[in-house]
Amino acid sequence: MLEIKNLHATVGGKKILKGINLTINPGEIHAVMGPNGAGKSTLSYVLSGRSGYDVTSGSVTYQGQNLLDMTPDVRASSGIFLAFQYPVEIPGVASATFLKTALNAQRRFRGEEELDAIQFLKLVRSKTKELGIKDDMLKRPVNVGFSGGEKKRNEVLQMALLEPTLMLLDETDSGLDIDALKVAADGVNRLRSPERSALIITHYQRLLDYIVPDFVHVLADGKIVKSGDKSLALELEEKGYADICAA
Amino acid sequence: MMKTLSVRAQNYVDHFEAALERLPGLKDRNIKALRKSGIERFAARDFPTRKIEEWRYTNLTQFVKMAANTAANEDTAALPALTPQAFDAKWEMVFVDGIFAADQSRLEDLPNGLSISSLASELGNGAVFSLNDEEDRALVTLNTAFMRDGFCLHVSENTQIDDVLAITFRNTASNDGRHIRNRIILDTDAQLTVLERHEGTGTYFVNPVTQVSLADGARLDHYKLQNDSIAACHLAITDVDIAGKAIYKNFTLSVGAKLSRNELKTVILGADAQSHLDGAYLMRGEQHCDTTTLTEHKVPQNISKQTYKGVLDDKAHGVFQGKIHIFKDAQQVAGDQLSKALLLSDFAAVDCKPELEIHADDVKCSHGATTGELDEDALFYLQARGIPYESARLLLIEAFMGDVLEHIDNEQVRSYFSTQAAAWLSGK
Repeated sequence: MLEIKNLHATVGGKKILKGINLTINPGEIHAVMGPNGAGKSTLSYVLSGRSGYDVTSGSVTYQGQNLLDMTPDVRASSGIFLAFQYPVEIPGVASATFLKTALNAQRRFRGEEELDAIQFLKLVRSKTKELGIKDDMLKRPVNVGFSGGEKKRNEVLQMALLEPTLMLLDETDSGLDIDALKVAADGVNRLRSPERSALIITHYQRLLDYIVPDFVHVLADGKIVKSGDKSLALELEEKGYADICAA
Repeated sequence: MMKTLSVRAQNYVDHFEAALERLPGLKDRNIKALRKSGIERFAARDFPTRKIEEWRYTNLTQFVKMAANTAANEDTAALPALTPQAFDAKWEMVFVDGIFAADQSRLEDLPNGLSISSLASELGNGAVFSLNDEEDRALVTLNTAFMRDGFCLHVSENTQIDDVLAITFRNTASNDGRHIRNRIILDTDAQLTVLERHEGTGTYFVNPVTQVSLADGARLDHYKLQNDSIAACHLAITDVDIAGKAIYKNFTLSVGAKLSRNELKTVILGADAQSHLDGAYLMRGEQHCDTTTLTEHKVPQNISKQTYKGVLDDKAHGVFQGKIHIFKDAQQVAGDQLSKALLLSDFAAVDCKPELEIHADDVKCSHGATTGELDEDALFYLQARGIPYESARLLLIEAFMGDVLEHIDNEQVRSYFSTQAAAWLSGK
């Protein structure tokens, strides 16, 4: 599904990613862990196509296509979903309008018929109900005045609605209490299927108690320095990054 | 020694005597004297220059260089104006090239208590108009000298009118100025909603002066859409007197004209009165739009609010000057003012000058002004959800505009202005 080869990237001229190799097959959940400044967020932004994150060499293939050629909206419509570490507040845009615009943009891109207001509401209400999210959130401007937990819930709602093929979770656990963490994990687990994959970027092991990964990679100084199964996450938790990264 | 006037001002002075014979109210000595007093005062002033503090950011140099009735510069007519959108009003008063067009107007079934007439007919009727002796605004004096037509609205005591009265000014290319003079009088507890629209083609100059008087408890919702030709010059002045418990709400959407200025002055004369001045300006190309407001709180216990938002693209230039003046003894007054501008291009600019002049000590006043660009984080967030760049950009501009449009209480007008704003955004 996703094949990253020798990926190098710079931000503002500074080298951040220094040769990443990673392959994610359909149905797999990968976790990338690493200390602050290792390049975790850069990896998620490079994959989602944010400007200012420049790929200097290497390649990324997604479903057989060159991902790096695609604009961010095309990547999203092709099934890549980035759950933001810091979801952005957008004053003046109601959450419902935002969700409908996004969903219909993706449907249009895929050549599917757009949903009208009634169809959309029905769909979104079924999702909010499933996730235990209050409907009044839909009327509020996107993320404006939301607590940290509410913002992450909103990310999960978007993910549930857009049904991505590849979920990228960027430090989704940061700033979350245990209940919110469970909601986020639950959102991902509900979408788990043999066709869907996820890349979970996290500093701490605790999210991985709820979303159990198939593979764990350690990212340090722009490279993957170690890979293993879920036990690697526990080992990291126990020993800290210093030992592993120095090894 | 005589003052040397600008070419355009001199032209007005030179043609005044001849014009007098063609202007309405010819037989009325008072009107004649009024016009003469207007041109004399105008001649002593000329068009404003940037040396006058209130005109620091709006430059009329190019405009006054040309005589009013010599060929105007047609080069500026390159950009098409927004296509006027229909508004389904129960009553509509239409002015073509500044003159009331009864045949195009729909003024049947007017409710009792509402009277509508044209200024030209009022001037012929010996109605009394006066020019304030202290009037020193050149554009008002010029208007007084040459005023030809306009609307006169009167709503009598206790008459509340829910439907919108539309007043449309349609202009075509002309070397003459359109000196429109309007008058709105609302008696005690009267209510009215007016939508004033300005549109046209080609190069012309409009100089509408509107005087509004609201008696105790009256309410006027005054909406204005300035969609003049992209080659036009629109310099408008609106003066409003607000008595106790009366409410004046003005919302102006400016999308047209090459050079425009919307000058609003509200004078609060009673307790529990409210002055609301809001608006939005959407400018591109080399358009210039100036919004200048002055709110005077002359007595205690009343409020004023102002919210203006501007979106400027290409080399467009916006100006917002807002002054709240609280007189001595005008205690327990609240005045709020907010101006926000969104710049879509590196070459667009806005000048902002909020001003508070406070002579009372128990007042609450605030003002804020921001100028910014589109939020890159928000743009990426929308794109990361599958929304293409252009749509994401439009969504954010609409969001920026959205909350100011919420200040429009009348739903029909709000949706109409939203449609106009959307048309501007999509470049139609």
